[in-house]
Amino acid sequence: MNDARIVEAVLFASDAPLSPGEIARADESLDEDRVEAALAALKAEYDDAGNAFELREVADGVQLMTRPEFAPYLERFDTVPRSSRLSGPALEALAIVAYRQPISRIEIEYIRGVNSTGVIRTLLERELIAGVGRGEGVGRPVLYGTTSRFMEHFGFPDMEHLPRPEELPVILRERAPVEAGPEPPDEAEEDAPPALDEEEALAAVMAHADRRPEASG
Amino acid sequence: MTGDGLLVVETDRFHGPLDLLLHLIRTQDIDIFDIPIARITRQFLEAVEVLAETSVDEAGEFLEMAAMLVRIKARMLLPAPEGEEDHDPRAELVRRLLEYEMIREVAARLRAAENDRGRRFEKGYVQPRPRSRTARVPLEVTWEDLLAAAMRVEAPADRDIEHRVATRRVAMREKVGLIVNAVRRARRIEFASLVAPWGERMHGVMTFLAGLELGRRRVVALRQREHFSPLWFYRGRNLDDRSAGSVLGVALGSGEGMAGGGTDGRGAETGAAGAGEGAA
Repeated sequence: MNDARIVEAVLFASDAPLSPGEIARADESLDEDRVEAALAALKAEYDDAGNAFELREVADGVQLMTRPEFAPYLERFDTVPRSSRLSGPALEALAIVAYRQPISRIEIEYIRGVNSTGVIRTLLERELIAGVGRGEGVGRPVLYGTTSRFMEHFGFPDMEHLPRPEELPVILRERAPVEAGPEPPDEAEEDAPPALDEEEALAAVMAHADRRPEASG
Repeated sequence: MTGDGLLVVETDRFHGPLDLLLHLIRTQDIDIFDIPIARITRQFLEAVEVLAETSVDEAGEFLEMAAMLVRIKARMLLPAPEGEEDHDPRAELVRRLLEYEMIREVAARLRAAENDRGRRFEKGYVQPRPRSRTARVPLEVTWEDLLAAAMRVEAPADRDIEHRVATRRVAMREKVGLIVNAVRRARRIEFASLVAPWGERMHGVMTFLAGLELGRRRVVALRQREHFSPLWFYRGRNLDDRSAGSVLGVALGSGEGMAGGGTDGRGAETGAAGAGEGAA
C-alpha cells in the first residue's frame, strides 16, 4: 500500500491533530521520515487538486481542515459549539505567558499594570495555560506556561511559529528568570518629597490622594 | 491632537493604566524616550477622574500609576543621588511602556490568528442532524390507516398483559465452576474461549455475570486493554481462599450479591434476562 494513502486514511479518520510519530503506528513499514515524506506529497496533492480541505500543521501535528474560503457555507449548518473568542485582557495575559513562560501571576500583573487574577483563572479553565512549576522567592509562586490547546486554539503549528517579536516594532527585552515578584522600583522609595507646588500635576494628585482606597506602600 | 485640555478619553476602553498612558503618548506623537511627565500626568488624572466616579476598584490601579508619575517628576527635579547621576527616573516607566506596547501588538496578532483559525473547520464540525428533524419526513399513510391505528389504541383489552418470566436455562453455578476451573488450569483464559462451546447468547450472559461476581470477590481478575478488545480472566487473590470459596458457594446458590444485578435471586434473574435482551 502506498504510504501517502495510508497516512491519508489515518488523517481522514482523525478529528484531532496527529504527530508523524503517531501516524507511523499505522503500519510497521512506516517511520517518521516516511510519514513526513507522505505528508509532503499529500499536501502538494491537495493543493494541486484544489480540494476543499488541506493539510494543516497544528500543535506539533497535522490535521485535515477545510480551507477558509468555505467558512460561509459551513457556518450555515448546525455545528459543534466552538470555543469562543477570548476577551482583550485575556489575550494580553496570554500573549505575556506565551512569550515569557514560565511566568508568575505577579509578573504578568506588573507587565500589564493591572490585577490579572480573573483572566488567569479564565485561561486556566479553558486549558490554554497551565501551572508548569513553582518559582523562587516568597510563597514559591506558581509559574504558568501555554498548553497544546493554546496552539490548537490559534492554529499554531508549534511554539517556534508564534508571531515573532523580531518582526515587531519594539523588541521585548530579556528579563531575569522569575524570582520574587518584582516591585515597582519607584514605589519603594518612601522618602520622595511629598510636595512640589510648582507642579500642577502634583496638586492634582494630592487631591486624589485623599480619595485613594489604600495607603501607598 | 489639539491642545491638552481638549483631550477626550474614554477610560472604559483601556485595559489598565499602561494602556491609557500609551494612548496619551502615541496619540499626541510624544517621544516616548522624553515623556513630558507634568503634562502627561495632568491628562492622565483628568481621564482617571471620570473613572474614579464610576468604579473605585479600578481607579486604584490608575491612581497608583498617577502617584508613580508624580514621584518620577519629583525625582527629576531633585539632584540625583550619588552614583546615579546619569540615571533617568523615567527609564523603568519607558521600559514598561515599550514592553506593554509589544504585548498589545502580540495580542493583536493572536486575535488575527484566532480569527483565521475560526474559519477553518476540522472533522466533526458539522453535527449530525438533530433527531427532531426526522419528523419532517412526509407522512405516507392514508386516513384508513390512521383510523385503523386509532381503533387499535381504543381497544387495549385484547392485549396480552400476562407477565412472562423465563426460566433460567443456564445455571450461574455451572459457569462459576467453569471459570474457576479454567483459570486454575490455564492461569488465564479469554472470555471468548469460555463461551465458544455454546454459541448461545444466554451462555455468554451467564458467563459474563459469573465472571463479574467472581471478579468482585477477587476470585478471578478481569482484564481488558481497551473497549471491545478481548476480555481475559486471570487468577485472583482469593482463588484458593477456602472461606471465599465457601461464601461463594452459599451466595451463588441463593443468587445473592450479584454484581450489577438485584439484591435477591429474582433481581439477579431479571438483570440477566434484561442483559440478554439488550444484547439480542
